Amino acid sequence: MSVDRLSGIALAVLGLLVLEETVRQRLPLGSLANPGPAYFPGVLACLVLVAGVALTLLGGSGPRFASLQWSEWRHALAILATIAFCALALERLGYRLTMFAALAFLIGYVERKPLAATVLLAAGLALGTFALFDTLLRVPLPRGPLGF
Amino acid sequence: MFEVIQNLGLGFSVALSPAVLFYAFVGCVIGTLVGVLPGVGPLAGISLLLPATFGMDATRAVVMLAGIYYGAMYGGSTTSILMRIPGEAASVMTCIDGYAMARKGRAGAALAIAGVGSYVAGTASVVGLMVMAPPLAAIALRFGPPEQLALLLLGLLVLAYMSSGSMLKALAMAALGLLLGTIGIDQMTGYMRFAYGVVELGDGLGVVPVAVGLFGVAEILATAGAPTPPAVVKPRLRELLPSRREWRDSAWPIARGSVLGFLIGILPGSAHIIASFVSYAVEKRLSRRPQEFGHGAVAGVAGPESANNAATSGAFVPMLALGVPSGPIPVVMLAALMVHGVAPGPLLIQNQPALFWGFIASMYVGNVMLLILNLPLVGVFVNILRVPYPYLYPAILVFSILGVYAVNSSVVDVWIMLIMGVLGYVLRKLDFETAPIVLGVVLAPLIELSLRQSLAMSDGRYSIFLEHKIAALLLAVGLVLVLLNMYTFARRGLDWRARIALAEKGEGS
Amino acid sequence: MMHRLACLALALLAAAVVTPVAAQDAYPNRPITMIVPFPPGGVADLTARPIATAMEKVLKSPVGVVNKQGAAGAVGMQSVAVAKPDGYTLLLALSSISIIPEADRLFNRPPAFTVDQFAPIALISADPTVLVVPADKPWKTAKEFIEDAKKRPGQISYSSSGIYGTLHMAMELLSQAADIKLRHVPHSGGGPALTAVLGGHVDALASGPSVVLPHIKGGKLRALAGWGDKRIAALPDVPTFKELGYPDAEFYIWAGLFAPKGTPEPVLAKLRATVREAVNDPEFKSAMDKLETPVTFKQGEEFQRFFDADAKRLAEGVRRVGRVEAK
Repeated sequence: MSVDRLSGIALAVLGLLVLEETVRQRLPLGSLANPGPAYFPGVLACLVLVAGVALTLLGGSGPRFASLQWSEWRHALAILATIAFCALALERLGYRLTMFAALAFLIGYVERKPLAATVLLAAGLALGTFALFDTLLRVPLPRGPLGF
Repeated sequence: MFEVIQNLGLGFSVALSPAVLFYAFVGCVIGTLVGVLPGVGPLAGISLLLPATFGMDATRAVVMLAGIYYGAMYGGSTTSILMRIPGEAASVMTCIDGYAMARKGRAGAALAIAGVGSYVAGTASVVGLMVMAPPLAAIALRFGPPEQLALLLLGLLVLAYMSSGSMLKALAMAALGLLLGTIGIDQMTGYMRFAYGVVELGDGLGVVPVAVGLFGVAEILATAGAPTPPAVVKPRLRELLPSRREWRDSAWPIARGSVLGFLIGILPGSAHIIASFVSYAVEKRLSRRPQEFGHGAVAGVAGPESANNAATSGAFVPMLALGVPSGPIPVVMLAALMVHGVAPGPLLIQNQPALFWGFIASMYVGNVMLLILNLPLVGVFVNILRVPYPYLYPAILVFSILGVYAVNSSVVDVWIMLIMGVLGYVLRKLDFETAPIVLGVVLAPLIELSLRQSLAMSDGRYSIFLEHKIAALLLAVGLVLVLLNMYTFARRGLDWRARIALAEKGEGS
Repeated sequence: MMHRLACLALALLAAAVVTPVAAQDAYPNRPITMIVPFPPGGVADLTARPIATAMEKVLKSPVGVVNKQGAAGAVGMQSVAVAKPDGYTLLLALSSISIIPEADRLFNRPPAFTVDQFAPIALISADPTVLVVPADKPWKTAKEFIEDAKKRPGQISYSSSGIYGTLHMAMELLSQAADIKLRHVPHSGGGPALTAVLGGHVDALASGPSVVLPHIKGGKLRALAGWGDKRIAALPDVPTFKELGYPDAEFYIWAGLFAPKGTPEPVLAKLRATVREAVNDPEFKSAMDKLETPVTFKQGEEFQRFFDADAKRLAEGVRRVGRVEAK
């Protein structure tokens, strides 16, 4: 199965899903003279569907899906987990703690850099960026329960 | 003419006074900082510093805020070129060719060209502002929903020129982007679309989390764990400056970008970030070596960066000449004026000549300051590339999350960035372009709103597009362009892009 | 080592116990956050910042303004509705606080928040909206405008800052009171709405007075009538709809301070006293003067009555507008 064909199928499915959603959310379609909330997304979903179908039909030749390299997926997953952690913890633990933990995780655990460098960099960046943006530029950054 | 010179004299006497000079400098520095930070753009920077200006005199306040605005356009190119992360939404196009240039060891050249291009565009457009503000503003007011729609549809044509690979795939991405842009409250009827109860999605995904996610986070996801870390390019001093050929290649794009950006910036309601997208497309169309685009074409950096800066000056035209904001940033600046008791409006230029001309003069001064600030910094910034990637990318990630969060103090934006990051990563693997998605997210709400507003104005008759002369003209131009393209397409048999793409695939597999 | 740790733990425990007690009688002992649910530079924002500064002076404790915009104010308002009611999170809301839950109900959505999730502190300003038309339009008085609207139902267009927004509701109240039908062209904010009427793309706009004053003075717009109880100070020749015989067309873009419901009474009382003092602060007054926004201070019972009456009027208005179905 070629990459393009697979992508085409995914796009077509997406188009159909969106069309189904506009019906399920009961968005009125309106008319050509007075398009409703469902009109534009509907047209676009059809376009995505058409593009998906075209890609499926024309994309037979091309690199195979199996040939794609995903070798860095573990790393990518760790990074994504870190971002997710930040999103969850930012307003609960406060900016500095969250960023320190995130950086320490990435530099120390994922990248396996020495402890000293990790702590220094993590603390430095977390506190430094906070000082620069919250204190100096008055960008309000969340403070956690410890006032941190 | 003589009057203008007299007025300029007045303006410079205001602008070069130490206090005003100081605030202009502060604005420029903060603007550069804000621009360099991924996600946080000039709007966030200006809004955050608005209260700080309450204690100042009106001229100083507005000079500082303007400095932040155009300063951010200078700084935004830095992270785009060095790390493929847009400093602000308008720098998305610079990410493509700017980063490619950096990979080729031409980061210094790219930064320098971006800086000079920004300077030329900024200065030239201030001249435009100075000389033609009132008549231009009057024309700008005549752009109502039908005209905006025509212009935006022309902007859609831009999408055809963004792909350096398969046209079909680029169009599919554009459609996807447009679809993503429909998320949120429908502004004509109040229905919530595809928000699934998340109130923060009411205004849509937001171009900042989408751009930073699709470009920045996706880049990190793809590169961080790569078996061979990206080669640390150690540039030498001589290589920092652009070669003669590169300067020559950037001259016309800078000129065109300036004019284009200025004109787009004037129009109320247009998203000024379109300026950089349109400039990219124009440069690609007019280039003698279009295949370079996407792989480090100088014009792909010079044009969009100039257009950005010119658009900021253009945005001031309706604001100063008529007291009408052409976008969210002029709204804040108008508020700054109001807070200081300066009534914006059609009589501003007459009633407050010191303010108006001082403002204009300080923009000249500010652009010079930024050029002086940014060029030596090129050497400093390029050294960022020397930092080993395992240390660099966590730092970039922190800045990205900070930048995206700070725009609206919203964690939902961070989630959007994450999801778009995953999407961007997957799309890279599947060999799809991501820039059309950003353009789609920006254009979709505007196109839909303009169309439905026009129909509301005309009570459902599509003939309004023919009745409004400017709209009709723009649509005709668009039609001609489309037909021309289809003609050349048919004549050449196979599109050169598809030919290149096929050739590349043949080499790869 | 263990000894020292034990001492440290004990000290921390003691501190933790003492602190809440101390916090109770020393409100505020932390910076207060005033959430403005609108983008910077707008009416809410420009009212919030001076009042925050003035309150800071009275409380001798920082009061920071945070813009939390989105969904026409719903995002920021919702965040305060669910915030901890400890007096450290306040909301500066506009009249749309009454409109949004009603609009949600109209669409059968669970409301983002409800009006009774807030405890009102004080009203700070209440600007009546004013009807403006481009100067080159033929209507010289509101009467002419209304008569023309009756003759040509659905032909006269007006812009607004968004559907079910304050400027839209103002016009709707007029339409319902005068029994006329106008054509609504929603825009994405006050700025674009103003641009539309200045460019002659629509025929009318209901706007807050401060943004249109320079244009009226500059001759580009003409003011026909106001939605207030009294005439607008800066436009003494412009009658009110009340005078013209449409008392139901009353609408104010008001800005008021709220706290989450459940905030302890002493804290609320302190905040009310603070605002009362703050509105008399000369710097605050001059800031509001520059904005040409008169200070209308109401508190306690008075504010509650004003708020309830206004909310009722708006809720009714929204219900009568109903859903704008695509026809």
